[in-house]
Amino acid sequence: MATERIDLPQGTLDLLILRTLALAPQHGWGVSERIQQISSDVLQVQQGSLYPALHRLERRGWIKARWGISENSRRAKYYELTRAGRKQLETEAGAWRKLSAAVAQVLDMA
Amino acid sequence: MTPSVQTRLDRVWRRVVFRWRRTQLNRELAEEIESHRLLKEAENSRAGLSPQAARELSNRQMGNIEMAKEDCRDMWSFLRVERLVHDLRFAARLFGRNPGFTVIAVLSLAIGIGGNAAMFTLVDKLLVRPLPYFEPDRLVRVTGIYPRAAVPFFQQQSRTMDVAAVSAGSEYNLTGQGEAVRIFGAAASANLFSVLGAPVAQGRAFEPGEDSPGRDSVIIISDALWKNKFGCDPSILGRVITVNGMNRQIVGIMPPGFGFPSSKVEAWLPLRLDPSNFIEYWGSGWVPFVSRIRLGANVQQAQAEIRALVAQFKRTFPYPMARDWNANATAIPLQEDLMGDIRGTLLILFSSVGMVLLIACTNVASLLLSRATTRRKEIALRVALGAGRLRIVRQLLTESVLLALIGGGLGILLGMSALSIFKSVLPSSTPGLAAAAIDWRVAGTIAALALLTGLAFGIAPALSASQIDLAGSIRTGSQRSITSAWTRLRSCLITAEVALTVVLVVSAGLLMRSLYTLSEVRLGFRPEQILTVRISPNQSSCTERAACIALYGRILDSARGIAGVDEAAIANTLPLDAEQPYLAVEIEGHPKSADYPAPLLWSGAVSPGYVRMMGIPLLAGREFTEADGSKSAGVLLITPSTARIFWPGENPIGKHIKRAGEAQWRTVVGVVGDVRQYSLAKGRPDWVPGAMYMPYVQSAREDGQIYAAMTLLVKGRADSGRLGHEIRSLAEEQDPNVPVSQVQPLEDVVSGSISDFRSTIRVFLSFAGAAILLAAIGIYGLVSYWVTQRTFEIGVRVAMGATRQRIVSIVLAQGLRVAVYGAGAGIVAALAVTRFLGSLLYGVTATDPVTFVAVTALVLAVTVTATAFPAWRAARIDPVTWLRVD
Repeated sequence: MATERIDLPQGTLDLLILRTLALAPQHGWGVSERIQQISSDVLQVQQGSLYPALHRLERRGWIKARWGISENSRRAKYYELTRAGRKQLETEAGAWRKLSAAVAQVLDMA
Repeated sequence: MTPSVQTRLDRVWRRVVFRWRRTQLNRELAEEIESHRLLKEAENSRAGLSPQAARELSNRQMGNIEMAKEDCRDMWSFLRVERLVHDLRFAARLFGRNPGFTVIAVLSLAIGIGGNAAMFTLVDKLLVRPLPYFEPDRLVRVTGIYPRAAVPFFQQQSRTMDVAAVSAGSEYNLTGQGEAVRIFGAAASANLFSVLGAPVAQGRAFEPGEDSPGRDSVIIISDALWKNKFGCDPSILGRVITVNGMNRQIVGIMPPGFGFPSSKVEAWLPLRLDPSNFIEYWGSGWVPFVSRIRLGANVQQAQAEIRALVAQFKRTFPYPMARDWNANATAIPLQEDLMGDIRGTLLILFSSVGMVLLIACTNVASLLLSRATTRRKEIALRVALGAGRLRIVRQLLTESVLLALIGGGLGILLGMSALSIFKSVLPSSTPGLAAAAIDWRVAGTIAALALLTGLAFGIAPALSASQIDLAGSIRTGSQRSITSAWTRLRSCLITAEVALTVVLVVSAGLLMRSLYTLSEVRLGFRPEQILTVRISPNQSSCTERAACIALYGRILDSARGIAGVDEAAIANTLPLDAEQPYLAVEIEGHPKSADYPAPLLWSGAVSPGYVRMMGIPLLAGREFTEADGSKSAGVLLITPSTARIFWPGENPIGKHIKRAGEAQWRTVVGVVGDVRQYSLAKGRPDWVPGAMYMPYVQSAREDGQIYAAMTLLVKGRADSGRLGHEIRSLAEEQDPNVPVSQVQPLEDVVSGSISDFRSTIRVFLSFAGAAILLAAIGIYGLVSYWVTQRTFEIGVRVAMGATRQRIVSIVLAQGLRVAVYGAGAGIVAALAVTRFLGSLLYGVTATDPVTFVAVTALVLAVTVTATAFPAWRAARIDPVTWLRVD
């Protein structure tokens, strides 16, 4: 695994979690696996920050949790996006795209 | 992005839910993380590791998950709130450890805040809140009273006002509805309700013209009368009731709480405007006016117009009027007029209760200051352990605010009882008084007040404590390192407290002296052993004089026949009672003119034997006898003050007086002592220059009729309960349609006349008592703190050979210095302030030196007492023990 890992900038973890959950309800492990997988192992989520983030999002009402059965037939907590969360994802994603486009523009200036 | 209110509420709600289900959620969090680890472990196994290795690796991969768990929990809890709860818990523990301090602080605050809650309610309800009528700022009272003839005159002539008239009210007989009762009714012009802008709750108001004769057989009743007398009967409208022998149809019911001109009024009758009834229209039955300023006009215009109209109207009188009659009539805002009498009392009480709160706050502040200093070591330790200065200040402020809030809570409870006491001080007829209750607005204000006081008295101690010399305090642990500025501040606080106390105690002292002087007033009669009962037949039943003379003759005969009754008499009024009878009279040798209109005399109608039975001294001539019959020559008794005014230096016996308009003179046959008829504090009002008595059988009201309503008085040594029962039933037996009042001992009438004053004094005494107690606590706290601080110094002095007396006097001097400064400032303040008590004082001046000296002595004595214990402690300081400490 030669890929260099990048620390997540502040606040982007929430966005990534929301984006991941927009596909399908997922438990904590699934969220971290999915982020790692989609970003081709560039982004790795630490459990130490994942769970506080999940709970923070839940507290804000953007995701909600329910208990389900996981792949290994154990009880696991599945998170899914709420309507407010979907809206929040759109806003944040939009903002992020604008920001990254702007940053790219600045970096690429001749 | 600011979240909406709903989202915020949602979040708070979720947190609240979390608090309830904390253990369950903790378990779930653990389970969630464990399931994550198991998934990792499974993945590791799939990668080909042994189960043991897979588990270990997964554990390592999870990292320090406990921190994350902690973070998750924080996510769900209110961090700030938790910290606050922590502070509160700590404060509560501290209070629990110092119950004395806590009780004193909380009680002082509760007294101060409770009193303020009650007073605030009253001031708000009575002075601030507008009258419950339509556009009340346009309502005015036209000062003075006017004959009924003036009502149509003003109504037609005024261009700036709509004028209504309403009498202050009097008692009426309500019969034909079970037991005959007396109700309190006011006579009103037909437009009263439209002028006030007060709609009826049911039925209708008076229609225009219903105050003219023949159409006036209607009545509007109050909500209270409807509920109490008619049991809320919905079909009451249109029913005919008998009021003073006249049938009247109930046309309207007023809403609850409506009472005009006073809350005593239970019914409104049309004010009959009958020009053919000369005496009623011009002579008797004068009424006050209330008016609404018309749109486009203002009060100044109305005032100018009133002066012009009064001058114009005076010329239309069919008999000569005094030249200055109502010359200074004007218009004043109605609210000011209705609350005029109580405004002063209310404001005095309000400021005194404010002073008590100030004293309480000062005291608690000073207690906290001294505590903050004794807690120096604890605080220094906490600072050393890393507590920020802000955190310490917040902790200390939390404590003081908690104290204030507990005090405030207790205060509201206390305020409820205080309110009922204050209410008893004010005249019960004050509009809106009965409805005054502590409502959420007041409770809110009190909460704010408590918070504010908490911050106010907490801020100085908190700041003083946070300025701590860390190393010094911990190393020596001594309390010698104090910032003297805070100590000086504390002395100033206590000095101010003593000054405020002096003001309150001086006020209470002046009132006490007034009460004492009042109780020593010579009544002019002996009320002991006399029972009274009011019998009130309709005036119409006395159109035949003989009927009423016979009725009271029978009543007197049977009363004298009751076992245990020594004497019995009747009188048209009792001394110190609410209603006073007058007659306009002509006096021999004093012809009437525009400058000397017919004088008004207080005029009693009494049976023979009344004067002797009441113990009124006969000074000259003779009393009435049974020989002074209805057919014999008219006779009178007068009082010496009356004789001095009309016939100075002459023998009044044989002089003549007659009722204005009467043909025959009545002859003065005797002089009897002056009696306090009006109030204990005052003699006759200056518009009543004299007093006379007529024999009942010869008596006449201003319309020439004999008095129908009379009071029966019996004197006896028998058990007053049984006697009272018997005379009441004897009166009732005469006619079931005649209302008979409850039996009242004459002594109760006398003491009842100053009961308002007594309760005012009681309130002031409790204020003064609270103040002096608080001041004593304050001084004690100050001095004992001073002693604690100077233990070392005193130890040195003792070691150097200072005697115990010397030490005691040093300590006493500490307390006395504060007390003397405070008393000095207090006396100056009291001199400036007590004149506002003027209207409440009787027989003492507002600067009565005796009271001032006595109060100063009292305050100094209290100071010495409060200082004695710390002084005694200081005197017992053992230098060896104390010098060794450091």
